[in-house]
Amino acid sequence: MKETLLKTEKLSKSFSNGGAMQHVLKNIDLQLYKGDFTVIMGASGAGKSTLLYALSGMDTPTLGKITFADQVISGLSQDGLAVFRRDHCGFVFQQIYLIDGMSVMDNVLSAGLLVNKDKKALVAKAKQLFKAVDISEETQKKFPTQISGGEAQRVGIVRALINSPEILFADEPTGALNSKTGLDVLDTLTRFNEQGQSVVMVTHDMRSARRGNRILYLEDGVILGECDLGRYSPGDAQRHEKLSAFLNDRGW
Amino acid sequence: MGKSFLIVRSNIRKSKGQTAAIIILILLAAFMFNLWLMLSMDYKSNFDRYHDKLNAEHVTLALDSNTDEFQTSLSHTLESDSRIAQYRLNNCMHMAGRFPYNGGEISSWFVFMDKQTAFTRSIGKIEVVEEGNLTSGVYLPLLYKTDDIDIGKPIDIFIGRQKETYTVCGFFNSIMMGSHNCTLIEIVLTEDKYTGLASSGYASPATLCSIRLKDISENLSYEALLKSMVSQQQPNINMVSNCYDTVSQSRYISQMICSGIVSAMAFFVLLISLVVIVSNIINYIQVNMKYLGALKAAGYTSRQLICSLLWQFLSLSVLAAIIGIGLSYLLFPAVNAMMISQTGIPYTMHFLPLPFVMSLVVLGGTVACSVWFASRRIKKIEPIVALRCGIETHNFKRNLVPLAHTKVPLPFALALKTTLSGVKHNITISVTMLVLSLVVVFSGLMKENVIEDMTPFLHIVVGETADSCIRVQAETENDFLREINTDSRVEKSYLYTFFNVSHVGGAELMAAVCDDFTKINNQSIAIKGRLPKYDNEIALAAKYAKENGFKVGDEIEITANGNQEKYLICGFTQISNNLGRDCSLTRAGYEKLGMLTNTSYYINLADGTDIDAFHQKMKKKFAGGIEDTINILTTIEGMAGVYVSLMTMIVIAILALSAIIIAFVLYLLVRTMLNNKIREYGIMKALGFTTGQLILQTALSFMPTTILSTIAGLILCSFIINPLTAFFLNGIGIVKCTFAVPIGFIAISGIGLVLFAFATVCLLSLRIKKITPRALLSGE
Repeated sequence: MKETLLKTEKLSKSFSNGGAMQHVLKNIDLQLYKGDFTVIMGASGAGKSTLLYALSGMDTPTLGKITFADQVISGLSQDGLAVFRRDHCGFVFQQIYLIDGMSVMDNVLSAGLLVNKDKKALVAKAKQLFKAVDISEETQKKFPTQISGGEAQRVGIVRALINSPEILFADEPTGALNSKTGLDVLDTLTRFNEQGQSVVMVTHDMRSARRGNRILYLEDGVILGECDLGRYSPGDAQRHEKLSAFLNDRGW
Repeated sequence: MGKSFLIVRSNIRKSKGQTAAIIILILLAAFMFNLWLMLSMDYKSNFDRYHDKLNAEHVTLALDSNTDEFQTSLSHTLESDSRIAQYRLNNCMHMAGRFPYNGGEISSWFVFMDKQTAFTRSIGKIEVVEEGNLTSGVYLPLLYKTDDIDIGKPIDIFIGRQKETYTVCGFFNSIMMGSHNCTLIEIVLTEDKYTGLASSGYASPATLCSIRLKDISENLSYEALLKSMVSQQQPNINMVSNCYDTVSQSRYISQMICSGIVSAMAFFVLLISLVVIVSNIINYIQVNMKYLGALKAAGYTSRQLICSLLWQFLSLSVLAAIIGIGLSYLLFPAVNAMMISQTGIPYTMHFLPLPFVMSLVVLGGTVACSVWFASRRIKKIEPIVALRCGIETHNFKRNLVPLAHTKVPLPFALALKTTLSGVKHNITISVTMLVLSLVVVFSGLMKENVIEDMTPFLHIVVGETADSCIRVQAETENDFLREINTDSRVEKSYLYTFFNVSHVGGAELMAAVCDDFTKINNQSIAIKGRLPKYDNEIALAAKYAKENGFKVGDEIEITANGNQEKYLICGFTQISNNLGRDCSLTRAGYEKLGMLTNTSYYINLADGTDIDAFHQKMKKKFAGGIEDTINILTTIEGMAGVYVSLMTMIVIAILALSAIIIAFVLYLLVRTMLNNKIREYGIMKALGFTTGQLILQTALSFMPTTILSTIAGLILCSFIINPLTAFFLNGIGIVKCTFAVPIGFIAISGIGLVLFAFATVCLLSLRIKKITPRALLSGE
């Protein structure tokens, strides 16, 4: 029996578009489990990112309830949501979003020091994570514009993991990267997931989606189905076929 | 032109808030600039216009004799002088006196004239401003119209030692004898009252000699020359005079002080506005690097882009300047009323083209130069590089606050990073805080030395003060001295009296004569060397010495009462009540030029002594031997009241203005910072920073520069404020100021300034609340 990390009940999100309401998410009931690598797939405009923002407390739902552990987060204020994100979530963005004015190390520590006051332990942890994603000490001193996109995204992953979040949200993490560096990033996420880190990733890339053990397919704001792929294994040919079949059935 | 206009419109639309703030700063600068020019250019000219209108004197002399023989002799002298264009001799009465005014007393030399003569004089005409239908009483200069002194009300005028009560019949303007700053105050009596005064013998029969010269610039030297000529013919005659230069300056002391402060503030606000504009443009270029690159790629030339910025800021500045100038006209009546209460000369407001044009040219010109200076960088933008690199807002040379090593808490460390990366902001804050520090120190100085306790100001402006002044006849002097030396209420007494002497080949000087200068209360009047000890020594006004190239140790030749004597300059003094044309002599030193015709004693009385009761007792004791008594404290209160209210208003106005300036400058900086950091703050919010943390971080980022520049500014200004004040007051004879700098007030104000800045930034940073991580992620 898997432990539920996050649960939504009748989650809806609507936007006003020139006076007309646009319903992006419609009554979504969903559970995310601890240790899973959940992938949310769907075509452009399906509501993937909106769902991710709502689940991660970046945005508030229009209707419905989101519960994290025993805490209802859907009714929290902006500052309450900030504290929730800080204490429980990590984020990896498509555009990476490192702060240009801070060195690589400072980008990580600025997030870490929000939660962890033991600076010495925090620096040690950051170094360990940097080592795990193959970021050298020299690179740690550089500024974001002085490093490559792949390096920057790996720094983004370190920043997301510095507070040992219960859940790591990744929004198209390879979207802005070339094929080789994208693969490195996926390997890194996979490796951390294997170590027990729960991951929720939004993507429309099959190659990325293959890394997940649970695939959710979203269309017009509704989850059309899910597919259990099992744990990722690099040489698993059937995995690709299973995912393709799942997506083909849903008109991908 | 058309293309540039499109860019201008787009820029203004994109930054409405910043545009509004810059408009307000320029508006304030234009307001003060025009006000200053109106006060300094036309307000002073108003004196000349009135002087011409009333055909006023260039030199006025009141002489205590009106015999036919004397007047004929004087007439011959004046007739034969080719420098005189017009002169007139009128009978009048002349006496030192006083009357209650503004809670104190006005003490001066009074010239009493009968209504018929005063109203029909061809030189030194008076202009009746208000008149009741009373047929018996007194007409006073308009300056003295108060709630207590008004038409139909009685007024007690002390003429010498005698009190006369008159009914006020009306008020008039007199240019050369309309204020206590003129040395002579004209008082017009109806025929019955004039006759009554003449028969009472309270005032000396006198001749009022009114002279208009062919060349007005000779007025100062002619005054000295004429007095010298008269004293040669009539050695013991008492005479009191004034001249165009002295009166035109002394009646406008308040206006000079006020316009000096307004001009300083105008330049300060302009400086801040220019720094803000330059900072704004440099930031605009940085933030819009890609946009500018795209425009260049589309075919816009650097010249067109620079011109668009010039158009943008110049059109805003001209618009703001016109509104500011309009505002100065709107508020001028209030300033005018304040000034008239000081000068006593009415001023009719009218449009002044020259100040208007000058304000526009100076503001427009400096703004144009600053815009050109700041926007030159556009020339170096290469389209491809700009499009590729985009914004360059950070300095990557060094990480000055590495979070891994710093000991300071996270909010402070992040704030410090922001501070160190914002050179433009730091410069703008520094300039603003330095200027405001000067305002704070000046306000403190005025509060301490004028508003709360006027003694230091009086020491500089008036010179010597005591509790009481008693004018004793020469024959009573010894008995009087014996009496006061045994009176337990008297703490100290010394001879301190004034006579007019002339520098041979120079100007008329007012000589302060004292039997022992070590006894005077205000030793600070000697600003170099020392006050005279011996009969061959003289201390000369520092301003006069500087103008005439005298050094301590030089000799100066002085003449009075037909005698000439050389004196050794032993020191320099500053007493501004004769606008820097004065000197100090020992009694023995003066007596080399002639005997003292009156002996005024300054007296310090024990605390709690009723000064008026003391005067009454002395008058009773030496009936006939005491010519006049002056309650100096009350007299000072009367004159000081207006200065205190003027200075209070100025201090409140400049402090309020400072608060407005700092609020607008911070608004511009915070707005710019938030625009630049919207992405960064979005990321931080996504990572879990709360709005409160980001507001605190923003406010803290302003603090290092604010605190350091405020401390540096306050320390620096505390040192330069006295020389700077002396520089502004140089026109009234002040060359060295020794005002006490109120450290406590300055420290508290400095803390207040920093806290105000902190609170303002926090308030302005509330906009951070609107920054949402979702907006960042969805690319809004």
